[in-house]
Amino acid sequence: MARHKKSRGIPPLLIVLLVVVLGAVGYFTLRQGGSESSLRTVEELDPTLYYDNANSLRGNTYKIDVEIDSSLGNSPSKGRLFSVTLKKSGSNGSPVVIPVLIPTSMGNLTIQKGQHYVMKVKVIENGLLKVEEASKP
Amino acid sequence: MKKPLFPILAIAISCMGALPISAQQPPAPPQGNAETIRESGQQYKQGNPLTSAADNTLIGRSGMGASNLALQKSILNSKINTFIAFFNNPLAGTQFEQFLNAPAETSEAAQEYRKNMTKIMELLAPPASKANQDAAYLLLPKASEFESDADICTTIHDAVYAAANSRVQIQKLTEINEELEKKRSIAEHNNLLASRDMPLSDVPTGKSDKNNDANQQIERQARMEPTKRALASISQTIEHNKMQIAVAEGQGKFQFQALILQLFVQRRYQHVIIANRFYRALFDDGDQSLESFQQMADKLGYNKQAGQAKLVAEGNPNIAGAVGSGGGRPGAGASSGSNGPGASVGSDYNGGGEGSAFSLSGMQMGIQNLSVESLMNAVSSGMKTASRTFKSLSQIDGIANEIIRDVNEGVKSYKYLISQNEIESATAQLVSVWTKGQYLPSVQLIPLEEKRKSLKFAQLVNKLVNASQSGNIDTLASSVAEMKKEAADFDDTEIVANIQSVKLGSSMHVAQARVAASKGDLQTVQTEITRAAGIWPNNPEIQSFSTDMTKVSEKADPRVQALADFDQLYSQKNYRAIFEGIDRFGVAVAADDSGLAESRKAKLKEVRARMQEVETAIMKAQEVDRRGDHAGAWEGLEIAFAQYPDDPKLSQMRADLTTQSPDFVRDIRQAKSLEERKEYGSALAWYLRAQARYPLSDLAKQGVQRVVKQILPDTN
Repeated sequence: MARHKKSRGIPPLLIVLLVVVLGAVGYFTLRQGGSESSLRTVEELDPTLYYDNANSLRGNTYKIDVEIDSSLGNSPSKGRLFSVTLKKSGSNGSPVVIPVLIPTSMGNLTIQKGQHYVMKVKVIENGLLKVEEASKP
Repeated sequence: MKKPLFPILAIAISCMGALPISAQQPPAPPQGNAETIRESGQQYKQGNPLTSAADNTLIGRSGMGASNLALQKSILNSKINTFIAFFNNPLAGTQFEQFLNAPAETSEAAQEYRKNMTKIMELLAPPASKANQDAAYLLLPKASEFESDADICTTIHDAVYAAANSRVQIQKLTEINEELEKKRSIAEHNNLLASRDMPLSDVPTGKSDKNNDANQQIERQARMEPTKRALASISQTIEHNKMQIAVAEGQGKFQFQALILQLFVQRRYQHVIIANRFYRALFDDGDQSLESFQQMADKLGYNKQAGQAKLVAEGNPNIAGAVGSGGGRPGAGASSGSNGPGASVGSDYNGGGEGSAFSLSGMQMGIQNLSVESLMNAVSSGMKTASRTFKSLSQIDGIANEIIRDVNEGVKSYKYLISQNEIESATAQLVSVWTKGQYLPSVQLIPLEEKRKSLKFAQLVNKLVNASQSGNIDTLASSVAEMKKEAADFDDTEIVANIQSVKLGSSMHVAQARVAASKGDLQTVQTEITRAAGIWPNNPEIQSFSTDMTKVSEKADPRVQALADFDQLYSQKNYRAIFEGIDRFGVAVAADDSGLAESRKAKLKEVRARMQEVETAIMKAQEVDRRGDHAGAWEGLEIAFAQYPDDPKLSQMRADLTTQSPDFVRDIRQAKSLEERKEYGSALAWYLRAQARYPLSDLAKQGVQRVVKQILPDTN
C-alpha cells in the first residue's frame, strides 16, 4: 500500500525570494537586451562601399563595431571627432580606420582610446559618420 | 642773254645729220653703289677666307647691272624716253632748265624788240621798195640793242653794209670797164689804121721790089707796135676788172649765204627771213642758188686726225625735209612722232609755186671728242651737209616760215595740255617747241607759272633717271610715285612692274642665301647676298639676314652660346639642364658684362637653391627607399614634387616609387582628390586609412589636420 509520504512544501519565503531574483534578472536582462535589440535591425557598414563612394551612402544608418583609436578634434558646437578602428578587418586583413563624429547631444558619453563600442552611425554630408547611438557591448 | 654758240651749233648740226650719232651706251654702274657692294662684300668676308672684296664688287655689279639694265630699259622704253635723253644731255638739259626758270619775255625792251623785228619783216616783205629797205636797214641796230638778240641784227646790218659796198665796188669796176671798152675800140681803130700800107716814093721795081716789100712789112710792124701794146693793156685791165667783179660778187653772196645758214642752224628763224629778204634786195640778179656757198663749203678742209666731235644721243635725232614745186597751191606738212619726224609736200602742177616742209625732233645729245680741230671739222661737215640739204635761199626761207608756224602751233598745244594737267605730254610738246624755236616770240612768251609745271616734271624725270642709274630701287619707286602724282598721264605700269620684278629678284637671292646658310655653304651665302645687295641695296630682308647671320656667328663664342643657352633654358624652366651645366653657365654668367648680367646672376642663384632642395629630396628619398620604406621615400619626393613639379629627375623617381607603394599612394591621392572636392568626411577617412598604412606619413598627418579643421572649424 501506497504509503503516503508526507511531502514537505517549498517554503514560501524561498519562493518569494526566487521570484524576486528572477524578476531582477529579467529586469536587467531586458534592460541590457533593449539597446542591443535596437541595433539588431541596423545594417552593418561595408567599409569598401564607404571608401569607394561615401556620398552614395548619405542619409543611411549603419552599425559599426569599433575600438576607439584617437581623438581628432573637439568642437563645442559640433561635438567630438574620433578615429575608430573597425573590429572587423578589411578584405586584405588591413585595419579599417574611419572617423566618427560624436555630437554634443552625446556629450555625457565617456570615450577613451581602446574602448570597445557598438555604434549606430549615420552618413551625413561630406561622407562623415555621425554617431547616433553608442554602447559598449 | 647771249647763249654759247658751240652748243647751239652742235645741236643744230647734229639735227641736220652732219655728225655721226652713236647710240648711247648703257651707263657704267655708279661708283657709289660699287662702294656699297664692296662694303657688303667685306662685311660677309670678315672671318672667313671666301672670295675677295673685288670679286664681291664684280658679283654685285653684275646683279646691279642686270637690274639697272632692266629698269633703264623699261624707263627708256617709256614715253618719257625723250626727256630722259634730253635732260641727260649736259648742254641741252641745262639750257632747257634755264628756259624753264626764266620769266616770260614781257619786259618793255622785249616788247620793243619784237615790235622792231615785226616792223623789219613787214618793211622787207616783197615787193619791198628801196625806201622800205632803207628803213628796215636803219631799224636793225635798234633791234640789236635787246640782249636776247645777241647782236645778230647788227651782224645782219654789217653784212648788208659789206654787201652794199661790194655792189658799189662792182658798179665802179663796171663803169671803168665801160670806159676801157671805149678806149679799146679807139685802140683797135688806131691799130687798124696803123696796119694799112702807105706808098713809098722812088722805090725801084724788080729785085728792088722784093726789098721794098720787106721794108714795108717792117715799117707796118713798127707802126702797129704802140697801138698793139695799148690795146693789149686795155684788154688786160678789162679782164682783170671782170675778175674782180666776179670775185666781189661771189664773195659777197657767199658771206651772206653763210650768214643765213648760220642763223638757220642757230634757230634764229626770224633773222633768217630778214637776212634772206635783204639778200634778195641786194642781189637782185635772180640768182638765189647756193652754188657759191656749196663751192666754198666743198673747199673747206677736214683734219682727219682730229676726228669729229661726236654727238652722243639716246634717241634718234631725225630731220626730214621735203620740197615741192608746182601749182598755185603748194602744200607742205611736217610732223614728228615717237618713231621719228615725217615731212610731206603736196604739189599742184597747174601753176607755179613752191612748198617746203621741214621737221626735226629728238634733240637728245651730248658731245664727245670736243676740241677746236674737231669742232672745225664739225662746222665743215655741217656746212657741207647744209649746202647739200638746201639748194636755194627760197627753200631756207620757206622752211624757216614753216618752223615758226609749227612752233606757234606747238605752243598752243602745250598750253592746252597744261590746262588739262597732262604734264607729261605738255612737257614733251614744250621740249619740241623749245628745241625748234627757242628764240621765237611765242616760246619766249610762255608764262613762268606754266613752265614751272614742266620744270617740276623735268626735275622728277631727272630724279627718276638718277634713281634708275643709282640702282636705288626705293628712291626710284618713290620717284615714280611722285611722278604719277604730279602728272596724271604718266604711264608707270611697266616701270612699277619692273621695280617689283627687281625687288623679287633680290629677295630670291636672299632666299637662296638662307638655303645655303642652312647647308653651311658660306661661299654661296656670300655670293647670293652680294647679288641681292647689288640689285636692291636697301632690301630689308638683307638686313634681317645680316642680323641672323650675326647671331649665328656669335654662336661660335662659347661664352655667348652659354649665356644664350642659359636664357633659353631658364625661360623653358628647364632648371635641371642648367644644374647639369652649372659650371659652364656659372663661368659664363660670372663673366657676363652685358646689361643682363645682374638678372642672370640672380636667376642662376635661384636655380642653384632650387636644385639643391630637389637634389636633397632625391637623396633622402633614395636613402629611405634603400631602407625599404618605399612609402616614406615616395612621400619625401611627393613633398618636393609639389614645390618643384617641373624637375624631370624628381618626377621620374617619384613615378618609380609610386609603383613601390601603390596602396599608400592611392590613399593619399584619393584623399587629396576628395579634399579638393570638399568632401571632407570621405577625405578624412582616406587620410586615416593612409595613416594606418604608414603611420609616419607626414602627408596623411597634415591631411588629417587640414580636414579636421574644415569639419570642426572651432576645434580646440
